[in-house]
Amino acid sequence: MSLMDSILAGLSLVGNFEAFFALFAGVAIGTIAGAIPGMSATMAVALTLPFTFSMQPIIAILLLLGVYKGGIFGGSIPAILIKTPGTPASSATVLDGYPLAEKGQAGKALGMALWASCTADLISNLALILFAGWLASFALNFGPPEFFTLILFSLTIIAGVSGASLLRGALSAMLGLLLATVGLDLVYGTNRFTFGDPSMMGGLNFIAVLIGLFAIPEVLAMVWDPKPHKGQTRSLGDNKVTFGEYKRCFKSIVRGSFIGVFLGSIPGIGAAPSAFLSYSEARRKSPNRDNFGKGELEGVAASEAGNNGVAGATLIPLLALGVPGDVITAIIIGAFMVHGLQPGPMMFILNVDIIYGLFIGLIVSSVFLFFIGSVAIRGFKYVADIPRGVLFPGVLVLCVYGVFAVNNNIFDVGVMFVMGWVGFVMLRNDIPAAPFLIAFILGPLLEDNFRQAMLMSGSSPTILFRGPITWFFWGLTVLTVIAIIRAGIRATRTLKRRA
Amino acid sequence: MQNLHRQTLIGLFAVVAGLFLMIVAIPNWVSSPSNVRNIILSPVFWPYTLSALTIVIGLGLTITGHFSSEDMSQEKAEIPGGYGRLVIMAVVMVIYMFGLPRLGMVWTSMLAFVATAFLVRTSHPKTAVICALCVPLILYGFFAHVASVAIPQGNFVRLP
Repeated sequence: MSLMDSILAGLSLVGNFEAFFALFAGVAIGTIAGAIPGMSATMAVALTLPFTFSMQPIIAILLLLGVYKGGIFGGSIPAILIKTPGTPASSATVLDGYPLAEKGQAGKALGMALWASCTADLISNLALILFAGWLASFALNFGPPEFFTLILFSLTIIAGVSGASLLRGALSAMLGLLLATVGLDLVYGTNRFTFGDPSMMGGLNFIAVLIGLFAIPEVLAMVWDPKPHKGQTRSLGDNKVTFGEYKRCFKSIVRGSFIGVFLGSIPGIGAAPSAFLSYSEARRKSPNRDNFGKGELEGVAASEAGNNGVAGATLIPLLALGVPGDVITAIIIGAFMVHGLQPGPMMFILNVDIIYGLFIGLIVSSVFLFFIGSVAIRGFKYVADIPRGVLFPGVLVLCVYGVFAVNNNIFDVGVMFVMGWVGFVMLRNDIPAAPFLIAFILGPLLEDNFRQAMLMSGSSPTILFRGPITWFFWGLTVLTVIAIIRAGIRATRTLKRRA
Repeated sequence: MQNLHRQTLIGLFAVVAGLFLMIVAIPNWVSSPSNVRNIILSPVFWPYTLSALTIVIGLGLTITGHFSSEDMSQEKAEIPGGYGRLVIMAVVMVIYMFGLPRLGMVWTSMLAFVATAFLVRTSHPKTAVICALCVPLILYGFFAHVASVAIPQGNFVRLP
């Protein structure tokens, strides 16, 4: 199929009102959810997922991608107006956004955040279109041993970069892998931790685990410490960002976008480190570096470009290799699976229309983001005023409906509640939930590829070192583990010194 | 300091959990066919490997916590009534779960909404009650009539 045929096939899938409406609604939902303090883009995507079950796969995935993109931008609105980042990725935006708001230039800061977000989003989407196909064609040479080493590498990165304690991240990933063993054995079909219950034979439901880990702990945290969100909402002021100001910040925006693309395409890094790196690079290179932290427009532009530059790039490993780039793309992988699609290199052959449909949708989403973002900035006051004492009970009810809808099974609701308590205990003990979920998704793939490789080789482990690709991933895994151990030792020493 | 203290406890928990899996859970609750010739292909191989790795990580957490000069007196601040509210919330969840097939999802959700709203000390009780009535009904409308999900109706009042 030629490139033009692929584009036309994609267009035939998404060139209708339903697809564009889903994308538009997704961006709007994400922007609103991201702007509500206490909600996050992850939670928004997780709670939207059950509503997509009855939709066509392409419509469902476009809706979720819209929520993802809207959520990342939406987080910058409360970061600037009430000094409370809506998502962790927007933490860097607070540094200069809130000082600008204090000076009465909130409108300018939000305008620049929007321009930078849309520019970075577009660059990130173009990077996805350019690199995903290339990476997928390379990954077509992968067999089970190559996939095993790739997934192992992804797991080491994810365990290592999530959270303050590297070992806790690793423990979290290990618990996720263990939970993924529940159900019937992949090769022999025997029971593993099913306790004879037919509801557990297919393994624990992904959506129940996901919503349990990411939404219920927030409800429990609110029950534990019921407090309304603090922070005074600043007015927007009359000032808007000018083209001259955008031009002045353009270099930082492009640099931040490329940082986002680079870091986003590596599984596990996520948007927050990218935003901070982009911000620090902009400060290092800017002639106004002394003004950073005191209300510098370029600082807002750089941090927003950094975190939005990640959004499209995290889809590169997802679509090309079937490996999630971060926790939100892990949820989106789940959405693909719910709709009977398996992301990875084969998808570029079997479902090329869906791939190109997604590419077209993603480009359009940048335009939608611009228009919806402009409205959201003005409407933030109403969103910020949603009382938490009404929001969180609503989230609880939404979770129950959503999880039940997956299989029409009350058992899944129980799994969600149990996972909610697990997530809450993890939250209280600073154990990151993201590696748990990603390992839960990748666990069966890791085991399946390992056992397939062993069957191929008659149980000889040498097959796991059979060629340059496996050696490449083993090398990367070893380097990552060494880096993780070194960083862990350094962090322990720092803590000891403080003690 | 406080983090390291927690790290030791978390590490010990991981070691105990790993040992429990290896000694009790896997031999009893993972079945393996007797004709598997190679342990690597056995259904128990993967759980055993993961349990062993959990123990290794647990030991790592214990050791990094143990060799620190941790201060046991410094713990996270307690929230007054926090544990009590969590216990009530756990009871609400159990009732919610068991009420679904008997009362129906809509009515149970309404009750759970109100209970949770008062548990989190909502400053808008009237809004909470109105939302408690509306949100489950709207969700019922969507899931039952748009997504064709068979929402549990319960034994008492059935919705169209």
